[in-house]
Amino acid sequence: MTETILSVRDLTVTFDTRRGPLTAIDRVSFDIGRGEILGVVGESGAGKSVTGSAVIGLIDRPGRISGGEIRLRGERIDTLSPEAMRRVRGKRIGMIFQDPLTSLDPLFRVGDQIVETLRAHTELSARTARTRAIDLLAEVGIPAPERRIDGYPHEFSGGMRQRVVIALALAAEPELIIADEPTTALDVSVQAQIITLLKRLCREHGTAVMLVTHDMGVIAEAADRVAVMYAGRVAEIGPVAAVIAKPHHPYAVGLMGAIPTLSQEADRLSQIPGSMPRLTAIPQGCAFNPRCPKVFSRCRVERPEPILVGASRVACHLYDVTEKAA
Amino acid sequence: MSAYVEVTDLRRLFDVSKPWLNRVIEREPRRFLTAVDRVGFSIAKGETFAIVGESGSGKSTVARMVVGLLPPSAGEVRITGISMTDPREAAARRRLRSRIQMIFQDPYASMNPRWRVGKIIAEPIRAFNLIQGEGAIRARVGELLGLVGLHPDDSKKYPHEFSGGQRQRVAIARALASQAEFLVGDEPTSALDVSVQAQILNLMRDLQDRLGLTYLFISHNLAVVRHMATRVGVMYLGRLVEVAAARDLFARPRHPYTRMLLDAVPDLAHVGRARVPVSGEIPNPIDPPPGCTFNPRCPLANDRCRAEVPPLLDGVACHAVQEGRA
Repeated sequence: MTETILSVRDLTVTFDTRRGPLTAIDRVSFDIGRGEILGVVGESGAGKSVTGSAVIGLIDRPGRISGGEIRLRGERIDTLSPEAMRRVRGKRIGMIFQDPLTSLDPLFRVGDQIVETLRAHTELSARTARTRAIDLLAEVGIPAPERRIDGYPHEFSGGMRQRVVIALALAAEPELIIADEPTTALDVSVQAQIITLLKRLCREHGTAVMLVTHDMGVIAEAADRVAVMYAGRVAEIGPVAAVIAKPHHPYAVGLMGAIPTLSQEADRLSQIPGSMPRLTAIPQGCAFNPRCPKVFSRCRVERPEPILVGASRVACHLYDVTEKAA
Repeated sequence: MSAYVEVTDLRRLFDVSKPWLNRVIEREPRRFLTAVDRVGFSIAKGETFAIVGESGSGKSTVARMVVGLLPPSAGEVRITGISMTDPREAAARRRLRSRIQMIFQDPYASMNPRWRVGKIIAEPIRAFNLIQGEGAIRARVGELLGLVGLHPDDSKKYPHEFSGGQRQRVAIARALASQAEFLVGDEPTSALDVSVQAQILNLMRDLQDRLGLTYLFISHNLAVVRHMATRVGVMYLGRLVEVAAARDLFARPRHPYTRMLLDAVPDLAHVGRARVPVSGEIPNPIDPPPGCTFNPRCPLANDRCRAEVPPLLDGVACHAVQEGRA
């Protein structure tokens, strides 16, 4: 195993509301190694974006991290002061969001924004920072970077803007990048370009990437490992090939069967009855039990802990050996 | 088999000129954006014709013109032989109207939030005066709710009480309420999670089998189109570049754009795939390239492609294919 960059253990995020605390993330654990892309996939409300926000310390009130720990290269970052965390963000953890326009200030030239980031986190002089910004723009595939550096965000197309955001995220050479639906707003042909770019940069720089998306196709192409989330919990985590070809958790099985693919023609898609529970009504035991085709009595009372099945870790009582023996 | 829907030489321009005063002061002429340019296709009864394309390709504009929500600038739409534009056929068109319905991407935006679902579904029945008597209408609404997999008691709820997938079921029930036989779906599942999307796609296919519906299905998602369509039209910058039976299109794409699009889609079968993505993005439709609009991104483009618009011949609009260069 390569060096672990990010280690999340039993992370729990609670939102305090008038009707009492709601648990959005419930004891989530995973690691990301150097140069590795971990895909975090799930349907809306699964808690994948909140997990990303928790790692970069951007959970807004009334939400708070109420349990577990987050370590970046062994150093705890969930307990840092807001000021210390602000220095980690951008410097050690880069961010890419779905809508590049929200990450870019429309009133500043893109070059100035990259230079600002570089100067805030490194010792570079104004002149070298500008040269470095041009290099970064070239690296993310922006044509004529020495000219485009003086353009404003609105002068760039959607795909080019997302490239600028990636350049911005990479500026301070972070150890970890959190990419939250980075290609969702883009057309497929541009999406393919951005995925390829992200994969190449991650490999070249040895950056760990947490890729949050709802698109299993993107995960299949980009990620090394994948965590399937459901109702704030990790249902299954393992190597991408294993989880896609042979998922174990009944939710993951249903999810893979529900995705129409280009490669094979299916007469009917497998469908999971019902929908994701609301945070106010997460079922007891396994959160998936009311929709699960293989549910049995234990699932309704006891929450399954992750069990090693092949190369994956699966939170499902079906794979508990003691259960089979009994 | 005679065509159920016949679309010929459909064109739509949008006036994107600056306000009159600006034009006078800045001495600028009026400017038009050609959203749809000479599009023609036919749909047989009981068939699913899908139009696929990236954003800005004009696919939604075509859908709106087919159902009569938007008057075409030129060309004609005939449904069961009745023209959707000719004023002399207004009476026949009025009788036809109830049989054509549209399903939108965001079902919530297409429903009155202050109306109970029962009233929403009954609206077309009342508008077209299809059933007399409150009891009979209520019975029909209950039957429609059952048809789309909801409970007759759901008619007492408001739209906000449903999940996204259930709301889309309500939208389908409303579309069927007027005894529609032709449904136009504009990205009907794009706002839904994959497991819910599978439910809606399966439902649409079941209803088609049971009621003999004809679908025009608009989507940017090629995998969904492959799953739903019997025939597919691919649009790029307002023009239809390829029309083929779904099976042929996905097995043997002919137009360079179709090939590029199919290659760009991330798919579950492509775990860890490395590839060379196509460069470039869709040009600005206000100022499209001359000749074939795909020529700046096309690997096969030559001088003829840059000068001359290729006609749609034998299902594909491409000089390279017609000259045997592809």
